[in-house]
Amino acid sequence: MDNGLKLGVFLCDCGGTLSKVTDFSAIKAKLQKLSDVTYVGISHDLCLKRAQQAMQKDIKDKGINRVVVAACSPELHENDFMNVVQSAGVNRHLLSMANIREQCFWAHPDKGKAAKKAMTQIGMAINRARFLEPVEQTQISVNKDVLVIGGGITGIQAAIELSNLNLKTTLVEKEATLGGKLNRFANLYPVQVSPEEVLATKLKQVAESQNIYVLTSAELIDVSGEVGNFSARIKRGNGEFVRNFGAIIFATGYTTQFSSQIYGLELSNNIITQSQLEEMLKSSSEVKQIPKSVCFVTDISDEHSRVSPLSALRNALGIKEKFRGEVCVLCQNLKVDGAGLEKLYRDCRNKGVLFIKFDNSPRISKQDGKIKIEVEDVLMSGEQVTLPCDLLVVEETSVPPLDSKVLGSTLYMGLDAQGFYQENNVHLYPTASNREGIFFAGNCHADLDLMQALTDASNVALSAYQLLAQGKIAVEAEKVMVDPNKCRFCLTCIRACPHHAIQEAKVNHEKMVAQIADLACQGCGICAVVCPAKAIKPKDWSDEQILAEFELLGEYV
Amino acid sequence: MKAKGAFLPDIVAFCCAQSAYQAADTAGSMRITYPENIRVIRVPCAGRVDVLHILRAFEKGADGVLVLGCHEEACRHLSGNIRAKNRVQRVNTLLQEVGIDGKRVEMFTLAPNQGSRFARIANEVNERIKELGPSPVKSGA
Repeated sequence: MDNGLKLGVFLCDCGGTLSKVTDFSAIKAKLQKLSDVTYVGISHDLCLKRAQQAMQKDIKDKGINRVVVAACSPELHENDFMNVVQSAGVNRHLLSMANIREQCFWAHPDKGKAAKKAMTQIGMAINRARFLEPVEQTQISVNKDVLVIGGGITGIQAAIELSNLNLKTTLVEKEATLGGKLNRFANLYPVQVSPEEVLATKLKQVAESQNIYVLTSAELIDVSGEVGNFSARIKRGNGEFVRNFGAIIFATGYTTQFSSQIYGLELSNNIITQSQLEEMLKSSSEVKQIPKSVCFVTDISDEHSRVSPLSALRNALGIKEKFRGEVCVLCQNLKVDGAGLEKLYRDCRNKGVLFIKFDNSPRISKQDGKIKIEVEDVLMSGEQVTLPCDLLVVEETSVPPLDSKVLGSTLYMGLDAQGFYQENNVHLYPTASNREGIFFAGNCHADLDLMQALTDASNVALSAYQLLAQGKIAVEAEKVMVDPNKCRFCLTCIRACPHHAIQEAKVNHEKMVAQIADLACQGCGICAVVCPAKAIKPKDWSDEQILAEFELLGEYV
Repeated sequence: MKAKGAFLPDIVAFCCAQSAYQAADTAGSMRITYPENIRVIRVPCAGRVDVLHILRAFEKGADGVLVLGCHEEACRHLSGNIRAKNRVQRVNTLLQEVGIDGKRVEMFTLAPNQGSRFARIANEVNERIKELGPSPVKSGA
């Protein structure tokens, strides 16, 4: 039967290592007998340029129109092989891969079984190749301006990095001044520079840059459009205006709150929070009554955050230096998992800060305005310790600012359990959001200290640069396609799309259908599954391709 | 053709390209072995796996089906793994209704670096399916 298919199978024995465990010529002989297979080639190093040139030549000479590569994992070189296929004049999506290295010969020491599995895998890839569809590539020109939301240190750093990369940046801050939390901190230990100095240096850089446009007392209201061409509605004072940007960076940070329920305590003049203490230390010369003994309590309401123990250590040292009283830190497990934190802990110890570890929460009572803390000291085999103190400093939990949470949901961005922004993938794409072209930096998505937040900002700036620097983005046109004849416009896919990539559109000026924005689509195929009319087809992962892979169940080639 | 004697189940594993597929690669790179009768099918997200795909696998002779996705709250496509979990539960009940043990379909979550977890899941599921015996669809019962 002539269906016009000319399959070319390219085997790679990974520098000869796989030939030692199996006979590639036997595989070749078997494959040549399969229908539609016009060419089978064996190479030793398909990942190298020389072999790829030969592969390109073979595809051209033999008139191959579907390529199957049996080699290492597609996660490694799939893109390279796609380029080879494309350079040979065949659509780059007409490639199917069989992972015979990681998922076969490396995983299965039994040579006979591995050889059988390899044959099956190649057979599956061949079956899949029969149903591959071409996807055309186009380029879309993009706006190169970047919007940074949040004028804290992370936002400032991101804007500076972007301006150094020659991208015009608009920095939007809701407060009247830039600087965010840095304006409130009394010190930045373990960094030995004062917050004022850090801020002054950064603000000077912002002021000197030609590329940064600062908007204070301004807020982002809404965003429409997609990556490369977002239009952002910004409110400033009583006015509102719309600007266009190619990418948006969120650096909205965090805010803190004290949970009196968990502590069973109300704040008073001698029970204060970390941020109130910061204020006190910041204006230490005006403090009339200097506390002689100060106790910090951490790890009761927020054991998972880095913010709470770090601020306890910073402020304990700050008090020792400014007031010289007795300082005691009550903690469960003091986590010193960041750069310089171990040193900060040692500095505290050397300055005479006392650390008491507890398993059971300490009992805090107030008698005649005096505070009494009773705690079982774990390191003293649970011995009961009673501590009177002048000032008790309680920890706060870090929570997302309310407006950033609201903004997150209006922009269809993923939020985690606490309402912070959820990264696309914590391991693989730690600064990307679920929407193309929107990035997260700093504490609005992760628990970071100052140095980490700065690194994060640089990271994000590079991601935005990579996306926009060329002024155009390559896009695969209709890689996921809606069949307008089948679509009943039930909105199911629009609701299900995790990347907000599906919009409504009109065909022939009458029927409303769902339409997928190629730039925003990340190709997960969720819409194709939820569509009740089966009107959506991801061309790289169509039902036919997936089903074709189990044609060989129950038998080995 | 398969050798007669010991029952070697055919198990289809739908693997999310973001996590489980890479975990299978990691297992291979670390030379951790697992039953070779697990057939890995790469999908862009566990959320791409349709009820239809799982049922079709049984129709074509699978003895067991695995859906492997990202850990919860770590899905690149936010809800793909949750959707997959719900679909697997749906298939469980569907299979029970037609008289196939619902335990033949299972969902697990992995991270790309969890090669040994992939191998452990493959081994455990293989043992479980062996105990259940060949799929009634296959034997025509």
